[in-house]
Amino acid sequence: IPDALTTTMSPAGCPHVNSFKVDNWKQNLRVIYQCFVWSGSAETRKRKAKSCICHMCGAHLNRLHSCLYCVFFACFAKKHIHEHAKSKRHNLAIDLLYGGIYCFMCQDYIYDKDMEQIAKEEQRKAWKLQGTTALPTCSRTTRCGIGEKYSTWEPTKRELELLRHNPKRRRITSNCTIGLRGLINLGNTCFMNCIVQALTHTPLLRDFFLSDRHKCEMQSNSCLVCEMSQLFQEFYSGHRSPHIPFRLLHLVWTHARHLAGYEQQDAHEFLIAALDVLHRHCKDDNGKKANNPNHCNCIIDQIFTGGLQSDVTCQVCHGVSTTIDPFWDISLDLPGSSTPFWPLSPGGDGSALNGESHTTGATTLTDCLRRFTRPEHLGSSAKIKCSGCHSYQESTKQLTMKKLPIVACFHLKRFEHSAKLRRKITTYVSFPLELDMTPFMASSKESRMNGQYQQTVDPFNNDNKYSLFAVVNHQGTLESGHYTTFIRQHKDQWFKCDDAIITKASIKDVLDSEGYLLFYHKQFLEYE
Amino acid sequence: MSKESRMKATINQKLTEMGERERLKELLRAKLTECGWKDQMKAHCKEVIKEKGLEHVTVEDLMVEITPKGRALVPDSVKKELLHRIRAFLAQHAT
Repeated sequence: IPDALTTTMSPAGCPHVNSFKVDNWKQNLRVIYQCFVWSGSAETRKRKAKSCICHMCGAHLNRLHSCLYCVFFACFAKKHIHEHAKSKRHNLAIDLLYGGIYCFMCQDYIYDKDMEQIAKEEQRKAWKLQGTTALPTCSRTTRCGIGEKYSTWEPTKRELELLRHNPKRRRITSNCTIGLRGLINLGNTCFMNCIVQALTHTPLLRDFFLSDRHKCEMQSNSCLVCEMSQLFQEFYSGHRSPHIPFRLLHLVWTHARHLAGYEQQDAHEFLIAALDVLHRHCKDDNGKKANNPNHCNCIIDQIFTGGLQSDVTCQVCHGVSTTIDPFWDISLDLPGSSTPFWPLSPGGDGSALNGESHTTGATTLTDCLRRFTRPEHLGSSAKIKCSGCHSYQESTKQLTMKKLPIVACFHLKRFEHSAKLRRKITTYVSFPLELDMTPFMASSKESRMNGQYQQTVDPFNNDNKYSLFAVVNHQGTLESGHYTTFIRQHKDQWFKCDDAIITKASIKDVLDSEGYLLFYHKQFLEYE
Repeated sequence: MSKESRMKATINQKLTEMGERERLKELLRAKLTECGWKDQMKAHCKEVIKEKGLEHVTVEDLMVEITPKGRALVPDSVKKELLHRIRAFLAQHAT
């Protein structure tokens, strides 16, 4: 809704602009913007750099203004432009930093609709130009162009109408509970409920659905994406009574037959199945064919899909064969399972970075990730055909992250289903609130291999930093258990979702919990 | 002009020429929005407008009122990062 300030300001500006708006004023104004305010090309930038100084004191700062009636630059702070205006009776000047027009008669900046329009157009032109100019040197932390300029949302006529006809407003305060809603258990369906809680509190997914971005092209009523959209509406409606997700359950049974029935299922399996169905139903939106899985740009892929690099090194010729596979989650083996847990020395790579301590001897998430990304000798019974040696050789295999997803889900493999035993591993694994994935990246491994053992940690590289936002826990045994979820609201408030019951939780509650599925969200998002 | 202000002018020229000034401005804008500084300033502006009265307040009034607070509230991390960027740029383009 437009600010009160702008509605009382007349869009016709002040009466003193009329003496300026003669002859070829529009073109003249454009030239001023192009040359001295928003210089898009290298040429205009050079000229601006040289000529934009105060004609009276030589300063380049102090809020430099240009007279609109003649070629005169002077600073505002020292009142040099005021002197010029008075002596020459040139009443209008333009701020060279922001492009605002100042009227010396009104003694304030004025907002003339026509001039604003010209300003907007010239700014966009300059931005576009800067975006495509390739610069001779680009440091790693600098991007070549700036891209589209961010402009704040302004409602259209239709939107203003809608807002006027629907005067009820919902105010989001820091202790408001919107977005929190319990889910009724329909018979061992906590495995579904716990995942729904995690998904409805995934910020990017929430934003996607609440801004109505799903345009359904499915003919039948069985689109799971539509149902998710409906679910988000329910969660953010402000209703406090628990929601009964019977339609969602029915759709899950329809599309993921292996999860049908009233038995308790695995929450992790449900997560993967749900993402898969959503991904397939989303793809129909984009018109992409199912046989091109690598080029899907659906919201699920944008948020959850990462790339896992697998390097197989031949022990004889040291040739490396690399493949990259997409992933939605990382499944981590735990100590105490029947798979050998690499004996890790305390501390070392990663742990110090993620602020974990080994004083208690507890295994950390970072330990599990280190184990996951360690080189593994494949043994004489698993020789790989090496394209360099043209024969079967022993090799080592190593997994690293090539591309990190926006939301990273870690699955702690607590349920063991080997031939001889079925059991739950309850080993406590400590996980951090903030996680830096840098040590596990393929690029970090390459640096290590090139002999750079001590990586210069760039304090301003935020690409690999993650924040915890949801934790799914399993209580009980393999045969009879119960799932609950901790979710994060408003940056530092946590809530426990136990089917229909939502209670406030402390950060300590969350971090002390056993942890089964851990959901992390990238802290900083870059534009593509 | 003093030696210091001459140096400042030279640096400014170089930054403007190479388009780095615009990039830094946008980086600063993004950082200040991210850390909530922009919202704080907006709130303060509204207070000043309420005080002075909607009909009489000028941009100049606002500038005088909010500039000291604005300068003080810029987080150190933002200052550090900008400085780091400027230094890196100058190192690359040293003549």
